[in-house]
Amino acid sequence: MKGMTIIVKTVSSWIKVLIVLFGIYIILFGHLTPGGGFAGGVILASSYLLLMLAFGREFVQKDLPLALDSKLDCLGALLFAMIAVLGLVLCDKIFFANFLYQKYLPGQPFNLISAGTIPFSNIAIGLKVGASLFLVIFLLSTFRRDTSA
Amino acid sequence: MPYALCFLLFMLGLYCAVVKKNMVKIVIGILVMEYAVNLFLIMLGYRFGGTAPIIERGQLLESGQIANTFLNSSVDPLPQALVLTAIVISLGSLALMISICIRTYEKYGTFDITQIRRLKG
Repeated sequence: MKGMTIIVKTVSSWIKVLIVLFGIYIILFGHLTPGGGFAGGVILASSYLLLMLAFGREFVQKDLPLALDSKLDCLGALLFAMIAVLGLVLCDKIFFANFLYQKYLPGQPFNLISAGTIPFSNIAIGLKVGASLFLVIFLLSTFRRDTSA
Repeated sequence: MPYALCFLLFMLGLYCAVVKKNMVKIVIGILVMEYAVNLFLIMLGYRFGGTAPIIERGQLLESGQIANTFLNSSVDPLPQALVLTAIVISLGSLALMISICIRTYEKYGTFDITQIRRLKG
């Protein structure tokens, strides 16, 4: 898949920074404003879709290899499971307990540090959803007509 | 009245999924059916003159309680949370359907379901 002209390449390399920043904002403030892990993950994956359309598929393959992307995906899932098991260990044998809110770091309402382990769960979900959607879009774009049948 | 329109949208999606011969149009019909069901579930939690279920700064009192102005006017947030999960599930099933479509096009060369007769490959 070839890339586009040089105007599109220049402008999209500026715009992708804004898209990634917006996705990280939606993930981090998921406990205060609407959004959260899933919506922010979709926005992060769409920034890579913009790169794939403007620069071609080989550039994105070199930028984020598929093996690294699979590992990011598994890391997101492991992080989420670890947060749940830590609640089991640290907080009186309750699975998924919000141990940061009850014991260590309650925080003030309406601040960024307020809801305990919910921002960390949002980060893990955003990572997993972004990596999975990028894999799906990348692999669906490599299909070609099988002319040997 | 809005529930009847939701039902009409569902019927449109069902017509599209049953009658059309192009595979991509069938997939779009299934997608419209899923949209109609999600819309119906969200509309069940609506309250007349309601506001968004997000607590603002003036509605959380010092004792930790939530003010009556929020409790008397917010819509139900529970269907919204469940519909979010349903949207994620429909995204996964859409990816599977599209990859089946692409694979069938590779083997048969056409999207028309009346031309796909015998199993190949």
